[in-house]
Amino acid sequence: MKTQHRRRSPERRARHTLRPLTLVAALAVTGLALAGCTGQGSGGGSDDQPDASGKVTLDFWNGFTGPDGPALEKVIEDFNASQDDVEVKANIMPWDTLYQKVLTSVAGNDGPDIIAMSASRMPQFASQGLFEPLDDYYTDADNDTEALATAAVDASVFDGVNYGVPVNFTPMMMYYNKDLFSAAGLDPEAPPTTWDELAGMVPKLTVDENGDGQPEQFALALADHETVPVFASLLWGTGGSIANDDGTKSTLGDPESIEALDFWVSLIRDQKATQIGMSGADADKLFQTQKAAIEVVGPWMTTGFDEAGLNYGLAKPPAGPSDEAVLADVVSMGLPAGTSDAQKEAAYEFFAYWNSAEGQTTWADGSGFPPNRADVADKVTASPYPAIFGAAEVTDVSKTLLPGVASGGPIMETIFNPSVQKALNGEGSVKDIFTDASAQVQAELDK
Amino acid sequence: MTTTAERPAAQLPPPPRRRPALRVSARRSLTAWLFLTPTLLILVAFTVYPMVQALYLSFTDYNLIRAAEWVGLDNYTELLSDGSFWNAFGNTVLYALVVTPVTVVLALAFALMLNQAFRGRAFARTAIFLPFIVSLGIIAIAWAFLLDPNIGLISHWLSLVGIVPEQGWLSDPRYAMAAVMIVGVWKNVGFYMVIYLAGLQSIPVDMYEAARLDGAGVLQRFRNVTLPLLSNQTLLVSVLALIATLQAFDQIYVMTRGGPFFRTETLVMLVYREGFQELRFGYASAISFVLVIFVFILSMVQFGYLRRKQVTY
Repeated sequence: MKTQHRRRSPERRARHTLRPLTLVAALAVTGLALAGCTGQGSGGGSDDQPDASGKVTLDFWNGFTGPDGPALEKVIEDFNASQDDVEVKANIMPWDTLYQKVLTSVAGNDGPDIIAMSASRMPQFASQGLFEPLDDYYTDADNDTEALATAAVDASVFDGVNYGVPVNFTPMMMYYNKDLFSAAGLDPEAPPTTWDELAGMVPKLTVDENGDGQPEQFALALADHETVPVFASLLWGTGGSIANDDGTKSTLGDPESIEALDFWVSLIRDQKATQIGMSGADADKLFQTQKAAIEVVGPWMTTGFDEAGLNYGLAKPPAGPSDEAVLADVVSMGLPAGTSDAQKEAAYEFFAYWNSAEGQTTWADGSGFPPNRADVADKVTASPYPAIFGAAEVTDVSKTLLPGVASGGPIMETIFNPSVQKALNGEGSVKDIFTDASAQVQAELDK
Repeated sequence: MTTTAERPAAQLPPPPRRRPALRVSARRSLTAWLFLTPTLLILVAFTVYPMVQALYLSFTDYNLIRAAEWVGLDNYTELLSDGSFWNAFGNTVLYALVVTPVTVVLALAFALMLNQAFRGRAFARTAIFLPFIVSLGIIAIAWAFLLDPNIGLISHWLSLVGIVPEQGWLSDPRYAMAAVMIVGVWKNVGFYMVIYLAGLQSIPVDMYEAARLDGAGVLQRFRNVTLPLLSNQTLLVSVLALIATLQAFDQIYVMTRGGPFFRTETLVMLVYREGFQELRFGYASAISFVLVIFVFILSMVQFGYLRRKQVTY
């Protein structure tokens, strides 16, 4: 049978592989390897120039995809109706899409005119030259920036220059399921106020019905990745932190930080206080389906929890042994580098309206976020949450994570979160893992 | 001084009139090139040019906004001592080493099975091919749901037989890689199966008849007729499958984001992370170039090895 199949002679083979077309084809196939990193699409164009009537159109990119989106659009609508010179168009997309697209589209001159992003990510982009300095916005008395919460304003400062104007300022609060508290024999009106109280409740709130060693109900829904960095803020309870205040020195390996991490890792590993390896969305789901009794999260979840019919309470997260700092998240608006004066002026008009008493009342009423300024608190009546999240006892102790640190994003995503996962999976002792991580954080801070 | 020149001119036969023949072949290749031109132009514009550009960028420090700054071989020397790179490299090789052979063997097995006539064959073929045409993003999301520790169907089934995941299959460092591998195989096996099916159907029936007359059993017929005559398909399928696995990105990105703690981070994921998250496009280009060279070498080795085994008839 073999005679029927003619094998190719070696010479013919050699000649064949060297044919230019074959080479071109091979190169082309190999080139597919690059396809993954070349074809990032750019965003929709915008009218950068004033049109015939002199109206400036501003394309505003943001990630308010939740129930807060309509509130944001309502404020923009009000602003557009309030004057004839500027028109803002909201372009709402998921945050991770925004972060992916913003750099390529700005580099391609096809990007947004106003960019909203978490203030914790702004220093990284500012250090790369993405943003226009906005200090002159704050020096102009007409903009009434004195009324804004200081922490919200300071969150977007990098290297002494302010690159952003706050969209919102949000402390993370503790949501707890009153029904689960009652079922565990705990007082539904007495949520834990300290770490010790919480640790005492964990065994009661963790339920393993079938005794297979895997709880069906967890005391906590605590995510370790893709979320607001609640886990990182837990270091504050003992006076620990990831880096010192001016972002020059890593403190992740300090005894206070290790003490806090030890407490949380053992609570989770030994007592199964939470499910390991959850993303932020997983944690939300766990709490929403009543499989977890406590979650620390922002007000954007309230609508979802209400719709799920949960009987929940809201309180300040439990205080640590030496500190009661509360994690706050700030979203700020920035302008891409190279913005023209006319556009800057138009954007400033919008920023001022956004943070005016009128704009903030509409925003807080519709979104449930606390207003950026204290003087409108009593005007927010449509929703009870702004008052709870914006209460002085909460905002006074609120802090943002790694403010002004250019490598804050990479530190969280490539060092802190993976180290937490390692520790929770028992791949080494807490001390070893975080001493090692501390050296890596230092290397990032030194860059 | 060549031997031809020494020959007395008178002894030469009249030169054969080869010009028309040459013209025909030249015309033919000209036609071929003409037909190829649009494709080649697209390739140059969207593959060759970006590759050259990426090669240039790999020698620079570049963040997309400021002009690229030439740093020579710095990116490449940094790679050598970068733990993230070696971790991703190891993961990529592991993924390719497991997924490629499993995919090829399974594709062949499915093709052999579905080449037989039986009730429900069309359904089975469709069921196996379907994942290939569905967007990988959607597939990955669906699998993430199936494997979810709390609401996942697969987790539920496994718990019925006493296998209770301590945490999500995708967030457990022991199982995450296996999970993305299974999805990788499941997703692509249908495509390679179709290539094999086409190959199987092009094998002349008389070959099998001749083999049967010679007394060859099922296994012998498979080894001596089917397998050799599928060598073209095997070459194509294994090269395509290897390249695809070395570029594994999308299902991993959606399912695990490279986690837990980089256990499933592949080279393309690292390129993405360095480029779009850390804004180091020069360094990311250097990594992708190492990957390109790696893929190129492996593909050439595969070409060479499998071509020797190739059979024509």
